[in-house]
Amino acid sequence: MARLYIFAIGGTGSRVLKSLTMLLASGVKPNSDKNFEIVPIIIDPHKSNEDLKRTERLLGNYQTISNEAGLDSGFFSTKITTLDRLTTSQNRLSGSFTFNLQEVGGRKFSEYIGFNQLDEPNKALADILFSGKSINKRHEEVNLLDVEMDIGFVGNPNIGSIVLNQVKDSQEFKDFASNYNEDDRVFIISSIFGGTGAAGFPTILKNIRDAMNNRNIDGKGFLQDAKIGAITALPYFNIEKDNDSPIQKSDFIAKTKAALYYYKDNVTGNNSINALYYIADNYSGKPYKNDPGDNGQKNDAHFVEMASALAIIDFLETPERDLETSEGKALKPIYKEFGIRKDASDIKFSDLEDYTERKIALRLSQFVLFRKYLAEHLSSAIEKEAWSNDSPEINKKFVDDTFYRTNLTEFLNSFTDWLKEMAENKRGFSPFNLESSIEALIEGRTVKSGWFSSKVDFPAMNNKLSKQGKGKTYSSASQKLIQLFFDTTEEILTSKFGLKN
Amino acid sequence: MEEFFASLYEWFGPNPFYSRDMAELMRGWDITCTDYIGTPWYVIIGWSMVAITVFFYVLQYHIIDSSKFNKKHHWWIMATIVVFINFLNAFLIMYNTIQAGEYCTQDNIPISDCIGLGLSNALWSFILFVLLTSFPFPRNVIPSRFGNCRYTTFWKP
Repeated sequence: MARLYIFAIGGTGSRVLKSLTMLLASGVKPNSDKNFEIVPIIIDPHKSNEDLKRTERLLGNYQTISNEAGLDSGFFSTKITTLDRLTTSQNRLSGSFTFNLQEVGGRKFSEYIGFNQLDEPNKALADILFSGKSINKRHEEVNLLDVEMDIGFVGNPNIGSIVLNQVKDSQEFKDFASNYNEDDRVFIISSIFGGTGAAGFPTILKNIRDAMNNRNIDGKGFLQDAKIGAITALPYFNIEKDNDSPIQKSDFIAKTKAALYYYKDNVTGNNSINALYYIADNYSGKPYKNDPGDNGQKNDAHFVEMASALAIIDFLETPERDLETSEGKALKPIYKEFGIRKDASDIKFSDLEDYTERKIALRLSQFVLFRKYLAEHLSSAIEKEAWSNDSPEINKKFVDDTFYRTNLTEFLNSFTDWLKEMAENKRGFSPFNLESSIEALIEGRTVKSGWFSSKVDFPAMNNKLSKQGKGKTYSSASQKLIQLFFDTTEEILTSKFGLKN
Repeated sequence: MEEFFASLYEWFGPNPFYSRDMAELMRGWDITCTDYIGTPWYVIIGWSMVAITVFFYVLQYHIIDSSKFNKKHHWWIMATIVVFINFLNAFLIMYNTIQAGEYCTQDNIPISDCIGLGLSNALWSFILFVLLTSFPFPRNVIPSRFGNCRYTTFWKP
């Protein structure tokens, strides 16, 4: 199976990766003959970043569920794996999805570059390149050279580009390079208006394209001509004004312009990227808390992050012929933007363009219905309904096991939080009425009624589940739960709600 | 079939829930008290018991076939209806026959015999309902729309 290596850089990288995980869990798949295994590599020096921690936990649960349920069960049917699983080398990594940036924890940037060991001319040069002020973990103003990097690069890509250049010599990069095959692809997620992402994207891209000059790695030829896609998120959210913070909304546009100017020569201008997706939103909505990183940086999920995740799906749908590369140069570089049908402050499915709606509406609705049933009705159906008693049984022991009690429940809780955060954000994405009856679950969709159509409620779902499961064989109770609900929710939502695949 | 149903209702021996005279009437002992050429009540009541029980089984398992009516307490509700109807069926048929004087007048058949027969019929309908619903055949084999009752028995779910 071909692989897609995703480098998720910075807080935006983690959040887009989270959105992608939710979409893949709900069964969204690229329209392609090829199946891809996803290998996420999160790059963020800010280890206490809540967005990163949430995404890591989510990916871990996804991996466990997918392993138990198999890849043909509808939900969770795209394989996600860690880099260490691909390698048999002695230097196996820890099994984490995060890239282990060396020597950033508790160290100042000046220590990282060995500022005190530099001769006077180089010190003077470093002073010029890294002039300016920022803050430390205690929220005290410090010189840029004295920034402690374990809260990230605090909106300073000039620092980030130096530190992230270590990627090319890391064990992770060696493992990535030695496992990279001709059919594989690479996708880089970053934001352009901060520090880590803006610096990380061109650095990673350059290190991949310059693989031929890297003596430490294998698989250089494939890597140099790798099919690389990327999304660069331009400013899309608002933050609270805080004069003491080094993060200012007014800087977003200036930083974006500066980074785009740099990309003009070093990313797009030299054709080093095969497909570049731009996304932005100038809607001035609910401001996020101004947190440079010292308070854990936990931002609510945003529609733009989900749309960014769709760029990855789109990249996987792009035919091979459009991603040809020769000597590290894309022959037909593609540039794309994302748009919606209506400039709504609270986006519903009908506000999306047709293709986007078709891509996500059914699958997300299925997953929402699945979650609703498990949360509100499973306990009263278990060991009572025929579908639950069919072998392999979904019984009380099953719901007490780790798979259901921890992995699946935690994942579904995160999914609910993700939907709620997107709904409450401004611009919001609120296509579901999560607390309502099943018939009112999807905004703007009414249940098809007629003389002989029954209403859609939990007993009706039990009928469908029992009908769907009759005579079927499943390899395990976990696989049965996932596949049975995928098939049943698909039938209900297509026949009763008129959703299309 | 007559002997078959007779042995059932007489519980395979000399201890039916009703008198010997009632048993003779059920076997078709005619109004002139000469021979067994009267109405074969054992066959009629026996087959009607089977038909009623099967009907209610089909009704619950294959027609209603609902997740709202597939728990063990629903089974007991249906069983109670089956038992009650079968009791009434046997009781009323024989009660009306006796009230109409359509039996050998040399025989002594009290109302309690009708109640005994009704009870016997009710018990056999209950047993038949248990048998019909306790094994995979027929509930799992005869097609139904959803199969919601494919695990419904008197003890579960």
